[in-house]
Amino acid sequence: MIKFAPIVWRNLLRNKLRSLLTGGAIMLAIALVCVLRTAPEGFDAFLKALAKNSRISIHNTAGIVYSMPYAYLSRVRAVPGVVDAVSWSWFGGAVDVDEGVAFPNFAVDAETIGVVFEDLGMEPAAVEHFRTHRDGALVGRMTMKRFGWQPGDEVTLTSTVYPLTLTFRISGEIPADQDPRFWLQRAYLEEALKAQGIASDQIGMIWARIDQAERVPAVMKQIDDMFRNSEAETESETEKSFFQNFFSILQGIIAVFLIVSWLVTGCIVFIAANTASMAVRERLRELAVLKAIGYRWRLLFGTLLAEATLLSTLAGASGALLSLGFTRVLGTLASTTPQMGPLSGFEVTNWILVQALFIAFFVGILSGVVPSFGAARRSVAATLREVF
Amino acid sequence: MIELRNVSRFYQRGADVVHALEQVSLEIPAGRFVALMGPSGSGKSTLLNILAGLDRPSDGQVSVAGRKLGDLSEDELAEFRASHLGFVFQFFNLIPVFSARENVELPLLLTHLNKAERRERAETALRIVGLAERAGHMPAQLSGGEQQRVAIARAIVTDPEIVVGDEPTGDLDAKNAEEVLGLLRTLKQEFGKTVVIVTHDPRAERYVDEVLLLDKGVFQGSRPGGAAAGAAPAHGAPR
Repeated sequence: MIKFAPIVWRNLLRNKLRSLLTGGAIMLAIALVCVLRTAPEGFDAFLKALAKNSRISIHNTAGIVYSMPYAYLSRVRAVPGVVDAVSWSWFGGAVDVDEGVAFPNFAVDAETIGVVFEDLGMEPAAVEHFRTHRDGALVGRMTMKRFGWQPGDEVTLTSTVYPLTLTFRISGEIPADQDPRFWLQRAYLEEALKAQGIASDQIGMIWARIDQAERVPAVMKQIDDMFRNSEAETESETEKSFFQNFFSILQGIIAVFLIVSWLVTGCIVFIAANTASMAVRERLRELAVLKAIGYRWRLLFGTLLAEATLLSTLAGASGALLSLGFTRVLGTLASTTPQMGPLSGFEVTNWILVQALFIAFFVGILSGVVPSFGAARRSVAATLREVF
Repeated sequence: MIELRNVSRFYQRGADVVHALEQVSLEIPAGRFVALMGPSGSGKSTLLNILAGLDRPSDGQVSVAGRKLGDLSEDELAEFRASHLGFVFQFFNLIPVFSARENVELPLLLTHLNKAERRERAETALRIVGLAERAGHMPAQLSGGEQQRVAIARAIVTDPEIVVGDEPTGDLDAKNAEEVLGLLRTLKQEFGKTVVIVTHDPRAERYVDEVLLLDKGVFQGSRPGGAAAGAAPAHGAPR
């Protein structure tokens, strides 16, 4: 069959502009599909980077905006398998109240935060400074860079939750490029609230570190069972699951991305089919002559289909490479620009490249099959009557 | 030998039935150069398509080179055409993205010949039509007459017994038309081919052995062509 390859190749290059324009449309569409298809894995990578398997969150079963008693913390700590636990309460502090809360900030227990979030790799000196200084604060690298803060700097935040304005001294950095969090001492917040006559026996949630990842399901069940039928029943979940729920709106967007990627694929089938139809229509006379001199319809169908498929696959391969380059540039930018943070995880994997090539191949088949079949099956005499 | 027995061809055109051919019976012996002539719509091209295995009759039998075409499937007909027939059309119909030699090689792609053999045969066919030096030219670089000669080379490259032409001089000026008719005559005389052409061109009569006349789908009989001296006439049954 290789001897018929020149027929396919030469015909593909017959109308270079049209092939180029159609190929360009397919290339861009496949590039878009590839980039869109990085979203689920990119989001997963983002969650993996954010979450640890052996850390769980315990919050009010009614939702994370509902509080629970601070007394729960000591009971959680006592559960076998729990290495340590830390309370976690939204402070809602803003540098400029008019501009609102620019980064997430929480009141945490200074004694245990370093243990529960040991994996973040914070400087021991910073953790120790935070533990021993009531106005200390640990701040994510993203926020540090954004505001140009350095350890030792004084930062004043006005709470949007409490009638408080507190000044902090930065103890150190949470060393993750995309980490925006700001942690302050719960004891500092309690003291300030007490001075205002506000009770502070509630917390937002608890983070606990479990000694072994395999024990996580059992420990979560034990904790939730422990608080069943209490004033605030709890729901425990892994950190990854917590963030998944927290970012559930993003998952909706990802579903939209995937739907869009299939719609884009459908669009390019029609674009390519239109081109294939035009290409075939222009050549009806030649096809009739080839059939007259003995070319069987299956052979002509094969060459026409191969032409559509070759164009689509070549364009698809170019699109896949384009998306690879695009996401790499995006990743490089994200590594130097913290605001672009999660985009660094959006990577065109080999699996996505393979999918893209298959999509392009099938786009070629789908777009070419109807016009090619119609042209190849036309009666020679009928075609000759029409075109001569 | 080409033999048609009571061949009729009807077309459905909307609510009407068009009778393109009615009960045509004729024989064309091997090695003859025959022209099918008649006014437009007389059924000449339909008859040519049927005897060349491009169309099937609504009724009647067609026998070409000892094979009853009605017994052949579509694939068998394609194979039959590839090995027994060569085609020349009015508008040359060379593939514009292939050189003259590559166009001539197209029928050979259906054979088991290797690349070198295909090339050699294509060059031989081009030499016969006097275009050996222009083998590498693209169709757009050739004149109309040259393109038709390339088409003739394509028609004979597989060495078929029969060459059919549908208005082979229809798109040519007088000089080129004469050359092409002369070339077709050479195919009959030098290579023993049976040549059947449909034509309106009165010049063709001087080159052919016999003219078969059709009108309104009915075979009207034959008359000898200008080259008929000593040739056995085609046998027809006018109605």
